[in-house]
Amino acid sequence: MTQPIISIQNISKNFGGTRALHQVSFDVMPGELHAICGENGAGKSTLMKILSGVITSYEGDLAVDGKTVHFTGTRDAESVGISIIHQELNLVEQLSIAANIFLGREFRSGYLFRNDRAMENAATELLRSLDCDIPPYKLAGSLRVGDQQLIEIAKALSLDSRILVMDEPTSALTEAEVERLYRVIAKLRHQGTTILYISHKMDEVFQLSDRITVLRDGQFIATRNTNETSASEITKLMVGRDIESLDLGPRNARGQKILEVKNLSLAWPGHARGYRLKDVSLELYRGEVLGIAGLMGAGRTELLECLFGASALTPTGEIILDGQSIMPRHPSEAKKAGLALVTEDRKRLGIFNTMNVGRNITMCSLQDAVRGPMLNQRSEQELSESMVSKLRIKTAGLTPPIGSLSGGNQQKCIVGRWLLTHPKVLLLDDPTRGVDVGAKAELYRVIRSLCSEGLGVIVTSSELPELLTLSDRIMVLSEGRKTAEFAIADATQERIMEAATQSWQSIPSA
Amino acid sequence: MSNDSPSYAGRLWSSVEFKLILSWLLVVIATMALDTNHTYWYSSADSAQLILRQTVLLGFFALGSAIIIISGGIDLSSGSVIAMSATVFGSLMIVLDPEGFKAGHVSTMAVILGIAGTLLVGAMVGTLHAWLITSVGLPPFVATLATLVGLRSFSRGLTPTLTGGKSQIDFPDASLRDALKDVTTITIVFVIFALILWFLMSRTVIGRHLQAMGGNEQAAKLSGIRTDRLKWLAYVLGAVSASIVGIISFADNGSAKPDIMARGYELNAIAGSVIGGCSLQGGIGTIPGTILGCLFLRTIIDAVQKIVGAGADVFEGMIVGIVVVVAVTFSQRGGGKLVGKKYFSNEIGWSVIPTLGILSGLSFLLFFGKREWYAPYQAVVFGLVVIGALVVRAVLESRTKVSGQS
Repeated sequence: MTQPIISIQNISKNFGGTRALHQVSFDVMPGELHAICGENGAGKSTLMKILSGVITSYEGDLAVDGKTVHFTGTRDAESVGISIIHQELNLVEQLSIAANIFLGREFRSGYLFRNDRAMENAATELLRSLDCDIPPYKLAGSLRVGDQQLIEIAKALSLDSRILVMDEPTSALTEAEVERLYRVIAKLRHQGTTILYISHKMDEVFQLSDRITVLRDGQFIATRNTNETSASEITKLMVGRDIESLDLGPRNARGQKILEVKNLSLAWPGHARGYRLKDVSLELYRGEVLGIAGLMGAGRTELLECLFGASALTPTGEIILDGQSIMPRHPSEAKKAGLALVTEDRKRLGIFNTMNVGRNITMCSLQDAVRGPMLNQRSEQELSESMVSKLRIKTAGLTPPIGSLSGGNQQKCIVGRWLLTHPKVLLLDDPTRGVDVGAKAELYRVIRSLCSEGLGVIVTSSELPELLTLSDRIMVLSEGRKTAEFAIADATQERIMEAATQSWQSIPSA
Repeated sequence: MSNDSPSYAGRLWSSVEFKLILSWLLVVIATMALDTNHTYWYSSADSAQLILRQTVLLGFFALGSAIIIISGGIDLSSGSVIAMSATVFGSLMIVLDPEGFKAGHVSTMAVILGIAGTLLVGAMVGTLHAWLITSVGLPPFVATLATLVGLRSFSRGLTPTLTGGKSQIDFPDASLRDALKDVTTITIVFVIFALILWFLMSRTVIGRHLQAMGGNEQAAKLSGIRTDRLKWLAYVLGAVSASIVGIISFADNGSAKPDIMARGYELNAIAGSVIGGCSLQGGIGTIPGTILGCLFLRTIIDAVQKIVGAGADVFEGMIVGIVVVVAVTFSQRGGGKLVGKKYFSNEIGWSVIPTLGILSGLSFLLFFGKREWYAPYQAVVFGLVVIGALVVRAVLESRTKVSGQS
């Protein structure tokens, strides 16, 4: 038996209190294409960051060619021959292709002078070896995503990488570009390069890989030989997560229809797919929680932003709220119509860090605290206090800065902010992200009790168990399209995951 | 903010306003002691009036600037808007009452319409800024930089066409001039203006929304706040406040010289706001703080003039520079610590020591060069002493093990 080129031994990594990786061990053999599969948050990216020297503090051992290594930076990883192609490409758009490939390792003539010509020649050679004939003096920013990715691969080749980590490389590519990438991958493998390939697209993984390793919740689940397994087995392994037994009591009876969305589409100029959302339709009833499942980039956030008038481009389609056709072009219009959005990125889009708890809660409902031209402090205080007690926000009064609260309590403040506007429909975009387990359960109860007051709730989540616990119905988005909808009784993690991993290239366009 | 933690005294002690009042008192007392003429002591009324006038003139447009800064923007154009407003005010009086303008007695109607028209032009400039920033999508820095250079040049072009070729407009009416520059009048107007803005910022929904937008514009928009309209309001207030100063300065100076009038004042306004506790990141700052910041700035400039004597206006820029650096250093979160922070022990720190030493020596020469006890070696010694002290500090820093920045 040959020696593994990479041996991962009992690697664990914690971020604060959350466990990103726990005792992960597996081997990668030289020359193989090893696919790594897992849901959002399974720990794939963390593991790859450790492999490529981006994360330098972890427990456990990493061995390359049988020798234990501990990288202190990406340079270390590069020096033993590991390069990573990130999902978000790392190019300086204002620099030329050649300059990008040799960034930080510029050729020089003498000590002081840069040798641009030598770099351009070398870049041309590298690109030619990838069947690509873009002139190397072009600016990286002027290239299409697929070509930019080739630049990253060329950069890895210029480092004499023996091991290439690719993080969801096809997510932004056109069909033709995907095929070119496959050819490049075949060529690299022919030259003996070992490839670690992260993806959650089953067709892709099964077409390319020799072996598949599945991670789930930061733990190693299994490694299978690709020709001895099936897509359904892998999907099952990915989602076999235990559902936390959390009893939220009986579900609410469904009321009248409150929201209907017909054929909502949102364009995406300059992207291979051409759209962020395509013909998405949904219905929502009073007292109901509609869960939206989908992997990263499926369009969950975009869908909620369209409903809330917060998208940069105007979507097409129809939105009917409580019998009225609306198409909000600014969040203030959506708010007036009776919609409320709790955003996904709490720090960047939700809280006002320079303000205290009370003011964060009343931000959207200050009109209710106005007496004459003035803000009445007493009424404002009453508004925020009503939410602190209703949502049981743990805070030492209304005056501490919002940043001093825990993530869960900050999130409750923002939910409270919107409840004060008396919405008809509450849109919650991944509301439990960065929230600890206890606070999650608390938020679930809050959401459920809001429904019993007649609110319609749409909730997205990157965690399937969460959606299964909370929702009355679940719809699945994959790459901007609705691929399935399940009543809660029919929904299983496997079925949802199957619908969520269809790649857009394989969905016939309507 | 309302009640509870920490204690009332504690919060008072840590507020920018309180620190500013204390520092202001220190400056006044120090000036009393160091000023060889003891001006503050013997003619306190005159001194107070002078500082008050300067503070009010700075305060008007610094408040406008402060509102823009609190709402997350910046206005570089106020100096030019002042010059332009003075020019426009003069031009309007010429156009509305040419006879009276020549005779030295402008009709009341022309004056009122002139003032109203000037303020309207200010509002139009503010609207232009808001349009450039929201609709065209320029960064506030660029938009107001364009008007900073553009409006002054516009005023210089306007002046000769109305004055028959002269490059300045002389104030036409002596009694009107006295009325407009009267320190009591302008102080009363300023107090009213400041009260309105203070009320706006601390007691109304609009004020809260301005602060929210400055703190987190994206979140503000997603909270259903019409950020574009708020920006319009902020930039209009900024430009109108500068227009008010333009009208008063026209009377105060006795003429409007668009080429040199109020040049560089925009930076004083920003300095006043920043010293008064406004954060250039937006979201933080108060109206009373800004007023105190302006008072402190004008007082310290005046104090140096008193101490140094004639020709000290040369140092105004230097003082503003130093005060801004010190004030912002000490009001930064986690910054301004004298102990436990490394200032001089890395490469850049070591390299700056000679610069600071030379600056200190030169300042000594400039400040005290005309005193009878002065001898050139003193400036050199002073510079060397500063260098020595900083070297000692640097050595001590490099010996202590604290988590410094890389």
